[in-house]
Amino acid sequence: MYAMLTWSVPFVGAVLSLVLNRAGKVRDVVAVLAILASALFSTLTLMEFLSSGKPIHVSYEWVSSLGISLGVYVDSLSAYMSLIVAWLSFLIAAYSLKYMEGDPGLTRYWFFFDFFVGSMLLLVLADNMIAMFLGWEGTGLASYALIGHWYRDEEERCVGDIGRKALGVPMWFTPSQSGLRAIVFTRLGDVGFIAGIGVLYYLSHTFSLPAISERVAEWSGPLAERGLLFPFLLIFSLGAFAKSAQFPFHEWLVTAMTGPTSVSALIHAATMVKAGVYFLLRFSPIFVLAAQEVPAAEQQVRTFFTAVSLIGAFTAFMMASQALVSRELKLILAFSTASQLGYMFLAIGSAGLIAEFPSGFIAGFSHLMSHAIFKASLFLVAGAVIHAVHSRFIDEMGGLWNYMRWSFLAMSLAALSLMGVPPFMGFWTKDSVLEVAKESGVLIPFSLAVVTAGLTAFYSTRMVLRTFVIKREHHHEHHEAHPLMLLPYLALALISLALGAAWPLYGPELMSGMSLSVLGMHEHFHPEVHLDLELLALSLTVVFAGILVAGLLYLTERGRATDLRGPLSAIHSFLYDRWFINAVYYRTIVAGFSWLSRGVFKYFDSAVIDSLYHRLIPWLISALSTLGFKYFETEVVDETYHERVVRGFTSIGSFVRRIQTGLINQYLAIFILGLMLVLLIALWVG
Amino acid sequence: MKLEVPIMFLSVVLPILISLFFPMIKSKRLLMVLSTLLLLIPLAVVSWLSFITGLRGPALDPVVLSNPTLGNFSMLLDAVSAPVAISIGLVTSMISIYSLRYMEHRFEEMEREGHRPASWGVYFMLYVMFSAAMMGTVLSTNLVEFYLFLEVSLLPSFLLIAFYGYGRRERIALLYLIWTHVGALAFLVGVLLLGLNAGTFDFYNPIREAANLGLGELLPEAMRLPIFLAILIGLFVKMAVFGVHIWLPYAHAEAPTPVSALLSPNLIGIAGYALIRIAYVLFPSEFEVAASYLLGLALLTIIYGGLMALAQDDFKRFLAYSSVSQMGYLLMGIASITSLGMAGALLHYAAHAVGKALLFATAGVLITQLHGLRSIGRMGGLASRMPLTAALALIGFMHITGVPPSLGLWSEILIIAGVADFSMRIGQFLTVIALLLVGIGLSTAYSFVTMRRIFFGKESEAAEHASEAGYDLLGPMILIAAMGLLLFLLPQLLIDPMVSSLRMLLG
Repeated sequence: MYAMLTWSVPFVGAVLSLVLNRAGKVRDVVAVLAILASALFSTLTLMEFLSSGKPIHVSYEWVSSLGISLGVYVDSLSAYMSLIVAWLSFLIAAYSLKYMEGDPGLTRYWFFFDFFVGSMLLLVLADNMIAMFLGWEGTGLASYALIGHWYRDEEERCVGDIGRKALGVPMWFTPSQSGLRAIVFTRLGDVGFIAGIGVLYYLSHTFSLPAISERVAEWSGPLAERGLLFPFLLIFSLGAFAKSAQFPFHEWLVTAMTGPTSVSALIHAATMVKAGVYFLLRFSPIFVLAAQEVPAAEQQVRTFFTAVSLIGAFTAFMMASQALVSRELKLILAFSTASQLGYMFLAIGSAGLIAEFPSGFIAGFSHLMSHAIFKASLFLVAGAVIHAVHSRFIDEMGGLWNYMRWSFLAMSLAALSLMGVPPFMGFWTKDSVLEVAKESGVLIPFSLAVVTAGLTAFYSTRMVLRTFVIKREHHHEHHEAHPLMLLPYLALALISLALGAAWPLYGPELMSGMSLSVLGMHEHFHPEVHLDLELLALSLTVVFAGILVAGLLYLTERGRATDLRGPLSAIHSFLYDRWFINAVYYRTIVAGFSWLSRGVFKYFDSAVIDSLYHRLIPWLISALSTLGFKYFETEVVDETYHERVVRGFTSIGSFVRRIQTGLINQYLAIFILGLMLVLLIALWVG
Repeated sequence: MKLEVPIMFLSVVLPILISLFFPMIKSKRLLMVLSTLLLLIPLAVVSWLSFITGLRGPALDPVVLSNPTLGNFSMLLDAVSAPVAISIGLVTSMISIYSLRYMEHRFEEMEREGHRPASWGVYFMLYVMFSAAMMGTVLSTNLVEFYLFLEVSLLPSFLLIAFYGYGRRERIALLYLIWTHVGALAFLVGVLLLGLNAGTFDFYNPIREAANLGLGELLPEAMRLPIFLAILIGLFVKMAVFGVHIWLPYAHAEAPTPVSALLSPNLIGIAGYALIRIAYVLFPSEFEVAASYLLGLALLTIIYGGLMALAQDDFKRFLAYSSVSQMGYLLMGIASITSLGMAGALLHYAAHAVGKALLFATAGVLITQLHGLRSIGRMGGLASRMPLTAALALIGFMHITGVPPSLGLWSEILIIAGVADFSMRIGQFLTVIALLLVGIGLSTAYSFVTMRRIFFGKESEAAEHASEAGYDLLGPMILIAAMGLLLFLLPQLLIDPMVSSLRMLLG
C-alpha cells in the first residue's frame, strides 16, 4: 500500500502545483512536500519489504481485458531503487526552492518536476510492463519540458561554444533544441521497448512482470528456435540504451545540460538515465533464467550480454575521453554520467557471462546507487558555482575555495568518490564493477574500463582544480551558497564518504538486502566484501596516475589548451567536438532526411503525383472528350471534369454566385426530399 | 439492447432537418447556440447508450426501413462504433462553439478582400448537416444507408470549402468533390454488385443482432476479389493513403479552419472504421490474404506522410500531411487483424480526433491572433505570449505521437502490440521494426520540431504583437483536451469492450 502512495503522491503534487498556480511560495512548498511524502512512503515500503523478506505484490485492475493492472511489485530491486530515487529527488527539490527562486515559469517547473519523479517511481515500482512503459514515457515528456525549460533560448542558457562548428555543423545548442533532441533520441529506443512488449504479449499472453518471469520458456523458446532471441533482446532493450545514453544514443544527454542545473541533477542522479540501467537490472535476471531453462537460448543470451558489456565499456571510455577537454563545468559532469552509466552496463553485461550472476547484478546496482549520491552532489555544487560566477565555463572560475569552502569540500569529497579513491563509496562499487568485468574474461571491455578509471581520475581532478583551486586574475567577491542549497549537496557528499567508510562493516548486510529477493533471480547469494589484490593494485595505480598527471599539469599552469599545435591540437578538437559523432549524425541522418523530405516533396509528390492526377489525367480526359469519348466517364465525373477542363474555371464563379444568393437552403431541401423520394420508390418497388 | 424508439436515427436526422431553417435566423450567436445544442444531442445519445450498455452488447434502433432488396436500415452503437461516434460528437459540438469567433474573423477577412461570403445561417446549416451526417455514417448498419449519409456529409463539406475556404477555394472545393466521389463511386460499385448478388445490403443484421460476417462469400468466386478491391480502393481514397493522398493537403489546408478540424481527423478516419466494420466483416478471408500488403502500404503511408510533413512551411498543410501519416497508423493497426491492433486503430481514431482537432484549432487561433499567419517559418517564440495555446498544441502533438498522459499512448501501445504479433507470424518482425523506427521517429521529429519552430526560441516579429486568444476560442479546445486526458486515465471504458467484441469478431 505504501508503495502505491510512493509513486502516486508526486502526481498529486504535480496537479496541485497547477491548481496553486498563483499561490507563489505555497505552490513551491507543496510540490516539495509531495516528494518528501513520497520519500517517506518509500522508506516505509522498504521497511515493510525487509521485515517480511518476501516480494509485495499489490495490484488493482485497470484494463482487465488485457490484464493490465495499476499495481506495484516490491522486491529488493524496486524497494531500494525507489528509496534512492525518492530521497534524492526530495533533496534536489529542496535545493530548487532556492535555486529556481524568481523564475517566471515556476508553475511549469514544479508541475514537470513532480510529474518526472512520479513517472520514475511508477516505472520502478510497476508490476506490469504497460504501467512501466507509462512511467517510462512520462519521464521522456518531463525531461523534454525541463531540458527546454528556458525555451526562449537566451545565449547564456545554451550549451557549447557559441559559433563553434565541427564539419560545418554548429556545436552549440539552445534549450529548445536540446529538449527536442532528448525526446527524439529516447523515443527511437522506446519503439523497440514497446514492440518487445508486444512480442512478449503475443508469445506469453501477459503483460505482468512476475508472469513474464514464470513463463520464461513460453516466450524465449519459440524466439530462440527461430534464432530471433538475440535480435529480440536487443530491440527490447533499445529503450534502455537510449534512455541511459549509451552509444549510439549518447548525444542527447550531453546537450541536456541546457536545463536548470537542478534538473540536470535530477536527470543524472535519480530519474531518467537511471531508468535504462534499472530496465536491465529488472530484466537481466529473467534473461538469464531463459538461458538456464531453454538450452537453445543460452548462446543467444550470452551474445546479448556480451554486446551489452561491449557497448557499456565503449561508452564509458568514449565519454570519459570527451570529459578530459571540456570547458564547461556541467558538460564535464554530463560526460562523466554517460561514462559511469557505461560502467553499470558493463557490470550487467558481465554479470550475464559469469557463473555467479548475482554478484555482477549487485555490482551494477550498487554502482548505480553510489553514483546517484555523488553525482547529485556534484551537480548541485556545480549549480551553486555557476550561480555564483554567472558563467558555465571553468575558464571563468578558479580560486573559489576561498569564498565557498563548504562547496569546495562537498565537490572534493564527491569527486573523490567519482574517481574511486578509497574509502569512498565510489571506490567499492567501481572496483566491484571492474572485478566482474575481469571475471567475465572478455578482454576488451575490461581493459577499456581500467583505462576509463584513469581518465575519470584525470578529469575529476582537473575539474576540482580549475573550479576551486587555481587562482584567476580577476577578483570578484563570491559568497557561499544559501544553506538551503548547500545542505543537500554537502549532506550527499558526506553520505558518500560515510557509506564508503562503513562499507566493510555494513556493505554485506546492505548487499544481502539488495539481493534478498529479486524477480527472476533464484540463486542463493552470500555477498561479502573482498578485494582482489591484483586488481586493486592495478586500479589504484591507474587512478593515482590520473590524479598525478592532472595535478602536475594544472597546478603548474601548463594545462591551458590555448597553444596546442600539431597532432595534440587535432586530438584536442577530436575530443572537444565529441569524436565528431554529433556532426556526422547531422551530416548524414538529419541532413539525409531533410534532403529526402524536400526532394521527394518537390520531385515526387508535387511533380509526379500532383501533376499526374491534377494535370495529366485532366489533360487526357480533355483530349479524349474532344475526340468524343465522353461516355468513358459516369455522369458526375464527366460533368465536373468537363466543366473544369473545357471551360476552365471561369464558369464556376458564376455557379457559386448563383447558389450563394440564398437559394442554397432550397437546393439542399430539394436534395434531401429527393433522397427520401428515392427511398420511398425503392421501398415501393421492392 | 433493442430500443423502442429509433433515438439514434432521430438524433442524427432531426438536426439535419432543423438546420434547413437556419438561413432564416440572423443572429449569429443564436445560430451558434442552436448548432451546438443540435450537435450535443447525438453526443448525449451515444454517450448515454454507451453508459447504460457499458458497451458490453450492441444498442440498436428499431428498424426504420425494411425492404427485401435493400435490407434493413437501423442504427447500431457497439464497442466498435462507440469510440468513433463519441469522438465525432465531441469534436463537432466543441468546434461549433469555436466556429463563432473564428468565422467572425474569416468573414471580416473575406469582406476586406471584397468578397461577399454566404450568410451565417448558411454556414451553420452546412456545418450541422456535415457533422450530423458523419455521425449517421458511423452508426449505420446497412451499406446503402452508410453511402447515403456519406453523400450527405460530402455535399455540405464541399460547399463549406467553396464558400468560406482560402486560396483558390472554388477550384479546391471541386477537386475535393471529384476526388471523394471517385472514391465513393468505387465503393458504391462494389457495394451494389455485392448487395444485389447477396440479396441484402446489411453488413450488420439488426434482427439477428450480429454482423453479417463473410457475406461476400455468397458471391460467385470470380467476383469476390474485384468487388473486395473496389470497396478497398474506395475507402483508401477517402482515407488518403499513399498514392491517392494528394487531394487531402489541398482540401484540408484550404478549408475554413473549423471545417479542417472536422475533415482531418473525423471524416477521413471513418474510412478506417469502415475497413473493419464493412471490408473485413464482408470479406474476412480476402482481408487476411491482403493483410501483409496492407501493412506495407500502412508503413509506406506513415513514412511518406511524415517526410512530406517535414517539408511544409504552411502550418495547415503540415497538419494535413500529418493526417496522411496518421491514417497510416490506423491502417497498420487494422492490417494486423488482431484484436489489439484493431482496437488500437479505433482508439487511435479517437486520439487523433482529439489531437488533430486541437492542432487545427491551434492553427485557427494563430490565424485569428496573427493576422492570418500560417507560415511556420515566420512564427517562433510564441509560447511566452500565448502559453495556454502552446500548452494545448503540445497536448495535441502528444496525442498524435502517443506521449502520456494522452489517449494517444494507449492507441500506440495497442497498435504496436498488434503489429508485433502479426509481423512475428508472417516472419517479418525485424523489417517491420526497422520501418517502424523510421516512421515513429519521423512522427516524433515533425511534431516536436514544429512545436519548437512555432512556440519556442527567440521571439519572431510575429510574436512581438501576439496575445492570447479569448475563451471563445480556447474554451472548446480546453474541453477537447480534457477529454483526451480523461480517457487516458479511463481507457478501460473503451478498450475492454472493444477487445472482447473484436475477439468475438475475429474468432
